[in-house]
Amino acid sequence: MAITADDVSLEDIIPISLDFAVVEVSSSEELAVVGADTKMKVSYQEEELELRLPFGSHSRLFLSEVNRVWSDVCKTTTQAPKFEWISKYHKATRGLGTTVNKLNQHQKKEKSSDKKGTIEGEKGSNSGTHKSKAYSSPESQSIFSREDRNDLVRSSSHTPSNKAQILAMPQFGLRDNLIRCELLKNEDLYTYPEDFSFFLGTYNVNGQTPKESLSPWLSCTLNPPDMYCIGFQELDLSKEAFFFNDTPKELEWTKAVSQALHPDAKYALVKLVRLVGIMLIFYVKKEHAEFISDVEAETVGTGIMGRMGNKGAVAVRFRFHNSDICVVNSHLAAHIEEYERRNQDYKEICSRLQFRQLDPSQPPLTIMKHDVILWIGDLNYRISELDVSNVKELIGKKDFETLHSYDQLKRQIDEEAVFVGFAEGDIDFQPTYKYDTGSDKWDTSEKCRVPAWCDRILWRGKNIVQQHYQSHMALKTSDHKPVSSLLVIGIKKVNAEAYKKTFEEIVRNIDKMENECIPSVTLSKREFHFKDVKYMQHHAETLSLVNDGQVPCQFEFIQKPNEPTYCKPWLTANPSKGFIAKGGSVDIELEVFVNRSTAPELNSGKEQIEDILVLHLERGKDYFISVIGNYLPSCYGSSIHSLCQLREPIQDMSQETLREVAKMSGGENAVNTEKPLDIPKELWMMVDHLFRNALKQEDIFQQPGLRSEFAEIRDCLDTGIPDSLPGSNHSVAEALLLFLDALPEPVVPYSFYQQCLEICSNASQCEKVISMLPQCHKNVFNYLAAFLRELLKNSASNRLDVNILATIFASLLLRSPTKQDLAEKRKTQEFFQHFLAQGSS
Amino acid sequence: MAKQYDVLFRLLLLGDSGVGKTCLLCRFTDNEFHPSHISTIGVDFKMKTLVIDGIKVRIQIWDTAGQERYQTITKQYYRRAQGIFLVYDITSERSFQHIMKWASDVDEYAPEKVRKILVGNKSDDVDKRQVATEQGIKLAKAYGMDFFETSAFTNQNIAETFTRLAEQVLAANKKDLDLLRMSNNDEINLAALEEEEGLCDGAPGDQGKGCWC
Repeated sequence: MAITADDVSLEDIIPISLDFAVVEVSSSEELAVVGADTKMKVSYQEEELELRLPFGSHSRLFLSEVNRVWSDVCKTTTQAPKFEWISKYHKATRGLGTTVNKLNQHQKKEKSSDKKGTIEGEKGSNSGTHKSKAYSSPESQSIFSREDRNDLVRSSSHTPSNKAQILAMPQFGLRDNLIRCELLKNEDLYTYPEDFSFFLGTYNVNGQTPKESLSPWLSCTLNPPDMYCIGFQELDLSKEAFFFNDTPKELEWTKAVSQALHPDAKYALVKLVRLVGIMLIFYVKKEHAEFISDVEAETVGTGIMGRMGNKGAVAVRFRFHNSDICVVNSHLAAHIEEYERRNQDYKEICSRLQFRQLDPSQPPLTIMKHDVILWIGDLNYRISELDVSNVKELIGKKDFETLHSYDQLKRQIDEEAVFVGFAEGDIDFQPTYKYDTGSDKWDTSEKCRVPAWCDRILWRGKNIVQQHYQSHMALKTSDHKPVSSLLVIGIKKVNAEAYKKTFEEIVRNIDKMENECIPSVTLSKREFHFKDVKYMQHHAETLSLVNDGQVPCQFEFIQKPNEPTYCKPWLTANPSKGFIAKGGSVDIELEVFVNRSTAPELNSGKEQIEDILVLHLERGKDYFISVIGNYLPSCYGSSIHSLCQLREPIQDMSQETLREVAKMSGGENAVNTEKPLDIPKELWMMVDHLFRNALKQEDIFQQPGLRSEFAEIRDCLDTGIPDSLPGSNHSVAEALLLFLDALPEPVVPYSFYQQCLEICSNASQCEKVISMLPQCHKNVFNYLAAFLRELLKNSASNRLDVNILATIFASLLLRSPTKQDLAEKRKTQEFFQHFLAQGSS
Repeated sequence: MAKQYDVLFRLLLLGDSGVGKTCLLCRFTDNEFHPSHISTIGVDFKMKTLVIDGIKVRIQIWDTAGQERYQTITKQYYRRAQGIFLVYDITSERSFQHIMKWASDVDEYAPEKVRKILVGNKSDDVDKRQVATEQGIKLAKAYGMDFFETSAFTNQNIAETFTRLAEQVLAANKKDLDLLRMSNNDEINLAALEEEEGLCDGAPGDQGKGCWC
């Protein structure tokens, strides 16, 4: 990938701003094809693009980077970058637009075959797609979207485990590798050897052109062989061939070979490979052709400077049935004393000759990776320690065994200096080098070379039997004689039935393994019951998760449809997400806490303590956890109106009554038989208590109360009508403040708030506004004001003043429906101060 | 070697609590049977690989909570399914009655192209049978679905049922797949030749056996 997160930061490249969005298009309607693509919809201002990102970690990294940057952009309010660099592409984008329109028409016709459409789009709009390529990946393709935004929004809604997560399942490439590996390991279970005959021939032609039929060499077997692997060396010794690797001799010799193949069978030329004068031709009997696959050819030069093609090797690899076979034809370094150089050439060839694999993710194949290696050629190893006459004498006696013991190749192999693991048949023919061209006479030139077995055939692999190994004296074109060998090789053939069984077994095991690796936890409890939940009282239960799976897991409580958060507002799970190591555990506190924002709905019975949490494991299952409970309604969080309808303690009321009462709030108790209370009795109880006990209490309303005492006071107010309240004066004072704070509609209703701000400096106007409040609200307001004025009369002891009380109470009585700023706050205090002045009504 | 392409399907098991959805899944994926009923409270899944028409099909089978109180949540999983098993218990008339409701939920929440199959489970429990095979056939016919009576206990028709639905989903998405095959060119064919040689008949051996339609 050209761009990585380390090189540049994404925000410099992509115009990520608030109007930029990347949404993964869920493909629930279409087939989820794994490994194919991840479909994205990118929108920026008016433009929308649909991109396909290739499956893989690059794409995921890219997407997570985009999301990260986007959320950063959302958080900051700094000047959005201008992305001037992009302007020069705008023209190109327009070009894309027109191409894409055509494409869309095409798509309309084709319907649902957007895959085809995309491919054509790629062809048709190279310039346009270039832009997207720059920041996605080379394989991405783009088309315009025709869907409207609603579709986009709908399809992108968060779901517990979206496609992305499924795609992140244990990589499918890995699966295939596993299957391949297992198949290889169990090859014996589904393959059986079947013999095929391989005819191998090698011939150093000394730059000559074919002058005689090659039949005596190539058709020397009784039956036609299944394969022919024919190697030549010194095909062309001209400078042209050396420098341009081009020679007419290739065709001439190939022709000569095909004319000389066994007449009783038809052969197909599978591969020809040549490096200067080293050529290898591979023929197969016609009926076997369909079982040949993965054919590759390679060459390696080890000549001048260790690189040129005057010496070296050519090789062909292929797969025949289930066996991988490699045929090498090499021409190693010359001269009698250079045997170490020949050894080195061999090693060079082995290490440098590499076949590419069809799957680019697989490493290249070397020669030694094959089941069967057939190595032929002019290996150039000589007879050492004997002079010409000795050699010729042994040849004359046909004592090839003794002669062979002086053969450099044999000695080097015995020393394991070269061709380790290779086998060669017994040599029962006289040396193939060097003759006077056109004769069977040993070299008569002044150099008078010592005869040698330069031309050899070796093999490596199991189930190989040599049928013959011979030279062909009849051929006289060259100063070498051709050599041939017929090998019968046991090739691994696949038993389809057994293969199927093995394959299925492997797949079953991998499936099993995979299923065992799906993250899993055990939950200590699936249902949580919260009994007698009270206002502002913390309830907690512990949910223990134990990771009983085979892998570490990540858990998270996830949203349910149509709900903004993973749980109801009165519930929290702490922690709501996290990580558990294999065998580890985590305790999650499920906490229920009803505060002033959640109490009204619960008091009125519109809501229940009832929720289902969805605990999602990344790449794993979802668990449902039920939370139920009963809530004890409270005056806290109930409206003034409702409370005025209740003559009895709220908890003595039936659910139904409470629901009824809540329903008619606002309207002036039309159907109520009884006259409502002037003010809520709970308010009266608290104020009256304070009036009786706390008028002179030092720092009243300024010193905090005790939480435990608040709970007692709340219970008292909700369950009975006692003469006096428990707890200290400070606790009662705080309970009063909390009561006002919890009112769903403040004493001065929201609808009057703005008006109050506007006329806050005018005392009589203020009074006028208050007189317009709903009756019960007006009563409460006046009642409280009167009480506060009483407090102020005792300011010497309780150390209160108008400012303190205005500050405390204005913010409770006049609450802003939105956020309140400091200026507003001052105005509310100014408003309320009018009512604290002694002598006001 | 060429990159294999796999196809992933999501199949969903639906039906009343206790009809044996989890048992069907366990039998199919692990060839195990646990007679005790532990309610699935949540959504579980398992993977299984099938070879259909030489295509390696990986199916992700989702097992859902059948209890009514979870249905508002489980419905959101329908959207991502390509195939749905509607499962009832042949020993429970009630679970059979509820198939109508399950089917209408599927119509409402699942993708239009989703393929469905009707499954009457616990076919081994003949003594307690309350729903006649004919009733199942009739209902399946009315909905245009295939129908199988299965037993997770005796392993009757389990592989057949799952394979049938997978085949149907594959067929329903054939066009997309063919396009994919085309775009992935002949390397695939080559690989398919080597790796799946002799597997082309990997579909269930005796098709139609036990199927009532």
